[in-house]
Amino acid sequence: MTRRTHDVLSVEWVRLELLRTAYSTRGGIFSRMDPRAVLAWYVLLALAPWFTHDTAVLIGLFVLGAIGVALARVGPLVLGLFLIGLLGNVLGLLVASFFFGGDLGTLAALTELNLKLGAVSMASMAAFVSLDPEKLSDALLSLRAPELLAFGVSYGYRMLPILVDEYVTVFEGQRLRHAPPPRPGILGWRVILQWCTLAVTAFSPIMLNVAGTVRTTVEALETRGFTYAAAHPQGRRLRLAHLRITPRDVLVVAASALAIGACYAIPGLLGISPAPPGGAAG
Amino acid sequence: MSAPASVPAVTAAPGGAVDPVIVARDLSFRYPGAQRDTLRNVDLTIERGDFVAVVGGNGSAKTTLCKTFNGLIPHYWNGDFAGAVHVDGLDTWESGVAELSSRVGYVYQDFTDQLVRPTVRDEVSFGPLNFGHADFRERTEEALERLGIAHLAQSFVWQLSGGQAHLVALASVLAMRPSVIVVDEPVAELDPARAREIYRRLAQLNREQGITVITIEHHAEFVAEFARSVVLMAEGAPVWHLPVREAMARHADLAAHGVPAPDTVALTAHLGEEQLALDADSAARILRPHLRPGRPSPPPPAPREQDPADAAAAPHRPRSAEVIASLRGVHHGYRSVTGGLQVVLEDLDLDLHAGERIALVGTNGAGKSTLMKLLTGLMVPRRGTVTVDGIDTRSRSAARLADHVSYLYQHPGRMFLRESVRADVALFPTGRRLPDAAELVEEVLDRVGLQQLAERDGRSLSGGQQRRATIGIGLAMRPRLLLLDEPTSSLDIRSRDDVTGMLASLADTVRCAVVATHDMDLVASSASRVIVLDSGAVIADLTPRELFARPELTRRARLTPPQAARIGLALGLDPLPLTAAEVRAALDPALHPAHDPLLDRVPEEAR
Repeated sequence: MTRRTHDVLSVEWVRLELLRTAYSTRGGIFSRMDPRAVLAWYVLLALAPWFTHDTAVLIGLFVLGAIGVALARVGPLVLGLFLIGLLGNVLGLLVASFFFGGDLGTLAALTELNLKLGAVSMASMAAFVSLDPEKLSDALLSLRAPELLAFGVSYGYRMLPILVDEYVTVFEGQRLRHAPPPRPGILGWRVILQWCTLAVTAFSPIMLNVAGTVRTTVEALETRGFTYAAAHPQGRRLRLAHLRITPRDVLVVAASALAIGACYAIPGLLGISPAPPGGAAG
Repeated sequence: MSAPASVPAVTAAPGGAVDPVIVARDLSFRYPGAQRDTLRNVDLTIERGDFVAVVGGNGSAKTTLCKTFNGLIPHYWNGDFAGAVHVDGLDTWESGVAELSSRVGYVYQDFTDQLVRPTVRDEVSFGPLNFGHADFRERTEEALERLGIAHLAQSFVWQLSGGQAHLVALASVLAMRPSVIVVDEPVAELDPARAREIYRRLAQLNREQGITVITIEHHAEFVAEFARSVVLMAEGAPVWHLPVREAMARHADLAAHGVPAPDTVALTAHLGEEQLALDADSAARILRPHLRPGRPSPPPPAPREQDPADAAAAPHRPRSAEVIASLRGVHHGYRSVTGGLQVVLEDLDLDLHAGERIALVGTNGAGKSTLMKLLTGLMVPRRGTVTVDGIDTRSRSAARLADHVSYLYQHPGRMFLRESVRADVALFPTGRRLPDAAELVEEVLDRVGLQQLAERDGRSLSGGQQRRATIGIGLAMRPRLLLLDEPTSSLDIRSRDDVTGMLASLADTVRCAVVATHDMDLVASSASRVIVLDSGAVIADLTPRELFARPELTRRARLTPPQAARIGLALGLDPLPLTAAEVRAALDPALHPAHDPLLDRVPEEAR
């Protein structure tokens, strides 16, 4: 057994991917748009699949979602988890349906639900990967979401990297101080079981450590006018003054709306045949 | 109620109170549910433009006092409040935290918890925006500019080093344009060089902007050098408030309250108050005429070739000694968020021998932690080999290497995995089914002096006790190689001496110990060999005495030698003294008292 430094599929990689996703460091078209326009785009694509049962329309919307994912440059970790989730869901339901006497027809019935879920998930990925914490909290604030929600979102983002670091440290300590299983077992199941146990128990010291830091944060918020701002709206106006809807924002949202319309219209025009509606997404 | 000591209560700063910015009268405060008053009949006047150090032992209510200045007491903490505090003419009882926060800025001891926004610019503009200041952009730029961190504006808060994070916290209160800034123990969480940088910035703000600065401080060295007046707190009330020189002359009072005098004061106190030195340079100037006659007078700085005393005191690098760990041609680096590879260690060759006490020093990012993690086997190098106890770290999992090497993290909280100290110490030996696990745990708990507290959760202990608990955890792993990351950071002076003493006594159990540290007093008192890292390469490998005798090297690695060593260097002493007692040995005994209680206790604590 020789150990090497892995750049992919290591704990460090997961940490970096989380940060890249949360802080949208990869760029992409939506990250240059006004956050309110991104949320509007998201609402369009997330709602569209729920108004139809037509597989052809859903395929079109699924493709639209996939294009969104490509334009937003979603990272491999999130994409991988999405694929595992989606395929796992299909396979799992299929196996279950065979147990209860289903056949391949069940698969067709499952397609509709999974296309819907897939389209909505991809729109979510594309939108939220493109919004860094400040943009997201500004957008929520401008849409009259409660102050506490907008702040909570950005504070969550601020804490994320710190919690991840802390988690990695505690997990390392767990690995060093717990005895490794004497034999790995078949396919190393003992090792895997121990890793899983340690990964879960590593959360408790973190919770206790974080609890200790909250008091300072709450006091600091008080001294920096967080509660004052809730009662006095001029701070909100100043904060949001920089938000501007540009022609590009309008164009992207309008094009998406048209594409969704096309997805609904084209299969109807072509009859029942499952038309590949990819061309409409341009 | 409390009759503060013999000194006639609180004296206003000299020259009569001209323009007080903070006035506390008959101030008492009791936290909700507490049995006794935390603040007791405080009378205190702080003048506009002063630089005040608030000193005193643990539990003397320094922080509570400072929280009455920005109205957190009584408005956020609703206890029993009596008396009055006026800030900038405002009665804190009648105004609110919001109004007071634009007059008094507060930087916390755990300042990273005070940063609430994701990016630096957003963090600094958070206050001005909340209060609806239309000029929030100018305020933000101005605050960043003034502290020299404009280049960090776009950075995310989690990318900052400790020193940078402190400056950001300071900028975020500065953006409110306060007339008073309170800084709670900047030295606790920062290394001495960064803390000095913070103090320089504070002194600059004080001098150029006329901002009143109040710091809570344990380290008399910083108090002496930067403060203009000192408030000594004890049992909830000021014992006295004096200009810094007079305050330092009362070093016995200070020492009695857990603030031992800095070396400069210890060495010059007997010469009288006018001759009292507050920083290393003036100490050297004052002491020069008192040097033992017959010594080579002043500079040139000590040549630092092999000096025999050193060779005897620190027989380091006995080349024949057993090699405990070695690194050969080691390269390592990390992927950054943007995907590039940041090289941290380059082509490193190093042997660590049995019997050595190694200090690993260098700035943040020099590669200290990476080197330690490579030695634990938590990471393997991208190129080259790391061998620990004869085992190539690539051939063994980190969990199995833990039988040979143990690593103690900088933050003790991250090492408490169990419900009690005893369970944490026992985790390793019982998990590995060591036959003598039970005795080992008892022995270790005795050794670190935590038998009484063994059933408590590690997190509920004081800073010094937490450190001792983590050292206990390390000892129970019975390592051949013990690695410690910043074992003395965020400790007050007394607990620091405690931990230093414990490290020195490990010699018989641990074959080789490596300490990564910024604490040069720790290096001077416990290391036999110092490895200086800079940008991923070893730039020097020598004894502490040799290191501190080379100002060009300490400057390059941004290290601040112990005060005694700086005085010795300025005096051109050879061999270079590392403690105040060693400096005194070079002074003329005729001009110096033979028994100086002030000095005699310094080496005791340092050793």
